[in-house]
Amino acid sequence: MPLSGRVAIVTGAAKPDGIGHAVALGLAREGAAVVVADLYEAGFAGVARAVEAAGQRCRCIRTDVADPASAEAMVKEAASEFGRIDALVNAVGGSWGITPEDLTAPPRRGFVGLTNCSLADWRTILGVNLDGAFYCARAAAPYLRASPGGAIVNFASVAARKGLTPGSEGSSGPYAVAKAGIMALTRQLAVELGADGVRVNCVAPGVVLSGRARRLMAAIGSERGPEGMAAAVPLGRFATVDEVAGLVVALCTDETSYMTGVTLDVNGAAYMA
Amino acid sequence: MQLSGLAGRVAVVTGAASGIGQAVVRRLAEERVRLAVVDVYEAGLRELCRELGEAAPELFVADLTDPHEVMDLAKRVLGEVGDVSFLVNVAGGPVAPSHENPLPRLPTRAFPIDEIDDVDWARILATNLTTAFLVCRAFVPALKARRFGRIVNFTSIAARRGSDRVGVHYAAAKGGVIGLTKTLALELGPQGITVNAIAPGFINTERMEAAAWGRRTPEQHQAVLDAIPLGRLGRPDDIAGIVALLCSDQGGYVSGATIDVNGGLYFGP
Repeated sequence: MPLSGRVAIVTGAAKPDGIGHAVALGLAREGAAVVVADLYEAGFAGVARAVEAAGQRCRCIRTDVADPASAEAMVKEAASEFGRIDALVNAVGGSWGITPEDLTAPPRRGFVGLTNCSLADWRTILGVNLDGAFYCARAAAPYLRASPGGAIVNFASVAARKGLTPGSEGSSGPYAVAKAGIMALTRQLAVELGADGVRVNCVAPGVVLSGRARRLMAAIGSERGPEGMAAAVPLGRFATVDEVAGLVVALCTDETSYMTGVTLDVNGAAYMA
Repeated sequence: MQLSGLAGRVAVVTGAASGIGQAVVRRLAEERVRLAVVDVYEAGLRELCRELGEAAPELFVADLTDPHEVMDLAKRVLGEVGDVSFLVNVAGGPVAPSHENPLPRLPTRAFPIDEIDDVDWARILATNLTTAFLVCRAFVPALKARRFGRIVNFTSIAARRGSDRVGVHYAAAKGGVIGLTKTLALELGPQGITVNAIAPGFINTERMEAAAWGRRTPEQHQAVLDAIPLGRLGRPDDIAGIVALLCSDQGGYVSGATIDVNGGLYFGP
């Protein structure tokens, strides 16, 4: 298996219906031991069982990626437990359900743009979506440099490409800005880490049918994601979780051995950069 | 990695007799994709088929700049190999092959605009852009009929960031491939067909080695490597994995994308 003997950290992998969870499982199926870094401790047993059922070790570490000390401690613990880190997937993110206080909160209703968000929204959303990826990448960089095939995969979004239409719900203006920051973070890290063979890429999904998206659609009573209706996507549907997770796993393997600094759009041709 | 949705399906790979095309064929054959391989360079196709032994693809010799040959090719492939799911348009390059000269030497010099005559312009446009159009036009009805398909086109870093070597004809043709890819993605999305383009950077094929790159001084060579964050030229295998990924279930929601595969040398939009 391509990732046999390798160790991967996946943030935001504890919720069973999320993209991060599917990434953790996909990496395990390719042979990697998995460290799950998440605030959602209620999901730890489930993700650990799934990874172990795929024949790999799993360690779950409660982590608030927006807190640099927590992110650094998580990486240190992962490295001391497994002796190495080969891949880091910064999957945690979103505009709601991302802090210890609102972790299981229902979708927040209404449009949250840049002109009507609170400063607390701005800091919280930037903190989890952008700062968190930076803290984790910086802490993991020395280990990734030592790996024979280090890889970082970040999550951007189509929201960063095209912005969010006023009136849309479930995402936010600060999120779009954070995800644009992720693209630049990805490029900068690609340039800094390339000489040591570490590849850094991000995916920019459109609407993905994760548990969070389904909860949003249930709350607003419409099959509508923050970026619009499925019918408006040329492919005529939203993405499955596996269609994003599979690409993330591929970005951790040699399938993509000469790709670095890339933002891979995964949006069914809804927005073609 | 384990990719699903490939085994047993039929792929047409153009430009299969050398370089990137060859690597794509080998990779898809590993995944047990049934292959129709197309090139104007028959000897190269035969050698590739010999190498693949039992998994040997069906081979088709055609000049893809000729609309009649392409229509005939589609008829033969659909009749002899079966329903096509994947269309991989690798055929192209900075020189124009033909039945008379199927594997022309690659240029060893740059092409300033005032040295490109009308014939060069037309030939390079035909080789790199018209071929993709003709092959897509010929096979799209079969993909639409099945309401499934994956088209992978090839553009180039020359179209993404410009080039100081290959000339405006090649860069413009490859830019055209991006427009073709996006428009076809919009047009065919409702039929369940994805259309993407791969933009390779500097890929070290045997022919490239024999041409421009083999003639660089060690200092010039090092300067090229220094500009690439991953510190090496690409290999045909670096491209083949991404083709497999885009054809697989895992690549099912990627459409209209131009994917830069260049070791970090240039970051597209």
